[in-house]
Amino acid sequence: MTAFASLPATSGAYSQGPAVPKTIKVSQLNHYFGEGELRKQALHQNNLEVKRGEIVIMTGPSGSGKPTLLTLIGTLRTVQEGSLKVLGNELNGASRDEIVALRREMGFIFQAHNLFESLTAFQNVNMAAELADLERGLAKERIDYLLNRLGLGHRIHYKPKSLSGGQKQRVAIARGLVHSPKLVLADEPTAALDEHSGREVVTLFQELARDEGCTIIMVTHDNRILDVADRIVNMVDGYIRSDVAVHETSVICEFLRQFPLFSDLSTSTLTDVADKMMVQEAVAGDVIIRQGDPGELFYLIRSGQVDVIIDEDGAAKKVAELGEGQYFGEAALLRDEPRNATIVAGSKCVFYTLGKADFKDVLARSKTFVDELRNVLASRT
Amino acid sequence: MLNFTNTPLAWKNLTHDWRRLIVAVAGIGFAVLLMFTQVGFQNALFDSQVKMIDDLQGDIFLVSRAKYTLAAEKRFPLELVNQARSASGVIGAYPLYTELTLSRLKSFGMGAPSKAFPIRSIGFRLDDPIFNSERINSQLEKLRLPYAALLDVRSKRDNFPFPTESDEELAKVQAELADRTIVIVGTFDLGTDFAHDGNLAMSAENFAEYFPQRKQFGDPLSVVDLGLVHVGDKARTEEIRDTIDQLLDDRVFVLTREQFRNQEIDFWDKSTPIGIIFTAGKIIGFIVGMVICYQVIYSDIADHMPEFATLRAMGYTTGYFLRLIVMESVLLSFIGFVPGLMASTVLYALLANSTGLLLQMTPQAILMVLVMTIAMCIASGLLAVRKLLAVDPANLF
Repeated sequence: MTAFASLPATSGAYSQGPAVPKTIKVSQLNHYFGEGELRKQALHQNNLEVKRGEIVIMTGPSGSGKPTLLTLIGTLRTVQEGSLKVLGNELNGASRDEIVALRREMGFIFQAHNLFESLTAFQNVNMAAELADLERGLAKERIDYLLNRLGLGHRIHYKPKSLSGGQKQRVAIARGLVHSPKLVLADEPTAALDEHSGREVVTLFQELARDEGCTIIMVTHDNRILDVADRIVNMVDGYIRSDVAVHETSVICEFLRQFPLFSDLSTSTLTDVADKMMVQEAVAGDVIIRQGDPGELFYLIRSGQVDVIIDEDGAAKKVAELGEGQYFGEAALLRDEPRNATIVAGSKCVFYTLGKADFKDVLARSKTFVDELRNVLASRT
Repeated sequence: MLNFTNTPLAWKNLTHDWRRLIVAVAGIGFAVLLMFTQVGFQNALFDSQVKMIDDLQGDIFLVSRAKYTLAAEKRFPLELVNQARSASGVIGAYPLYTELTLSRLKSFGMGAPSKAFPIRSIGFRLDDPIFNSERINSQLEKLRLPYAALLDVRSKRDNFPFPTESDEELAKVQAELADRTIVIVGTFDLGTDFAHDGNLAMSAENFAEYFPQRKQFGDPLSVVDLGLVHVGDKARTEEIRDTIDQLLDDRVFVLTREQFRNQEIDFWDKSTPIGIIFTAGKIIGFIVGMVICYQVIYSDIADHMPEFATLRAMGYTTGYFLRLIVMESVLLSFIGFVPGLMASTVLYALLANSTGLLLQMTPQAILMVLVMTIAMCIASGLLAVRKLLAVDPANLF
């Protein structure tokens, strides 16, 4: 019954069910720089899962290891310790050929545009298209489409010298996307762009994620584009401090807000609560809590349905059915009493649970939702 | 992957910065010029060594096995020439006599040096078809006189100050060859080489008069320096050469014109410092070109490290980078070669005018320098490519 109890509720692992393929699976990843006494650990036991078609924004102060993790995922650095699976390939110990093949399925957008001064915008983008063995006509169509889409239609055959910084950056973005990569790794892709073109870029990202199942990981400090994130990963000092599925977290917060005691809490506090919740699964017939047991957990039903059974004088009596978004188990925690009812799963269920100490802590501390939530997540350091 | 339908990155990078391209072209062109100068001088000097062979008639030559160069006075008996005549396909075989050791010419004109200098005397039977030169052949009658000889107009002036402009003046000059009076009755044009500062041409009879000591006992004309064999069908030259070779004994080499020429050039090239000196010159040109080419390619790579790193990240392979740089090297060598070739052609013309050396832009010389230029550029490209292969895309994020 307590399977996956170590999974945080906000990771979003259960929002679409576990069956969605993972583009990236990082587990127990450590990375070190330097040798001997100068050896310094840059990444500490990083764990991260990214689903196909997800847009992930990585935040964190400089020196937190974001680029290191990004280069490791991008196969640009060799994995030293732990496991890193990208597009189904284990990178730890991967051969050169595997890495080259894998790189061709990825799109890279670097902070510097790195365009060849000698080539036109079209030719620069074509360098990536050629590698993918795209048929020439198709490649041309796609390049024209992307450059037009990024507002460079009139500059397709210009060399970088005649382009502004923002235009060059957009050419580099087109180069990173032209071969329909399965995974895009982008470092501050919108940093050099004005609000309008920045928006155009992220809209394009969203379309690719939705239509082509392209997974996108961005490092950014640009708060204007946080709204496209499906998941926000916050890194501090080489640790992944939080890894939060935005949509799932907002669902949890909405659920929590319906709980009268939590309804006055600020978004920021609710998010903290959501963050502390863990996933618990049950199948039909499982007893979740038993009347008379000491209360340890607060339950929120993410999916499924449970029966509330009260044992009165030796006769079990079903008093209620609870479904998605409802909660149970708070009474025992509030009053430090044993459980006053038995809860049995009526179907396959997923619960999000909160420990007693955390629950009380939230109560002791006592503001449209999603946008604020993202800002809160992104600005955590 | 690097085919002509793809983005021509090598060409674009090379031609993008025209200032750098001009410097590169000038540098490689200079190296090409240096190599052409060496090749040109070497060929000119080698050509002057075999000018005598080129001026002689004949398809097959007989030379003593001991004669490692034209200047070596190793002879063989006249009978061998006569024997060669009997081979089938041969229409004529004639002896040629040359003498250097005994042949010292002294003139008694105004301001003439007080000493006799060595000059090559060439003796031939006046009725034999020996020389190609119409200038000699038209003066054969004059040579029938005793003491008569023709002087090479290109003989070294300091040693042989004869007034070659006029035959009358020449005839008045008092001169001695091997301490005996000689009359210069006319001039011809052969040229000097490393071993010979001048030439005299005379009848075999006169030749025998001047150099009776050529053979210790007997007829000085019974030992010959060179046998000239004429064949009826030039297409069968090789075959006839084989026949003669079998016919004659081991004392002589039987050589076609081409073989004889090559053997002579080979001696000067391999057995004297001349070949080494010119080879050194070519190597210097090669190295100069390599350094320049390396600089051009290296700075191109160094200036575009982030771009190349990006290509690496995208999944371009080591093979692509190698092909890219080799391509760039080859392009560079062609771009540098053309102006180098043009400058060299002009220089050849200027030098030929001022030195009298036979500097010719032959297809072989062009091909040789082109191959060296390409090799030079590829070699430096491969040296520079290490920098490119060390590119690390890990620093891009």
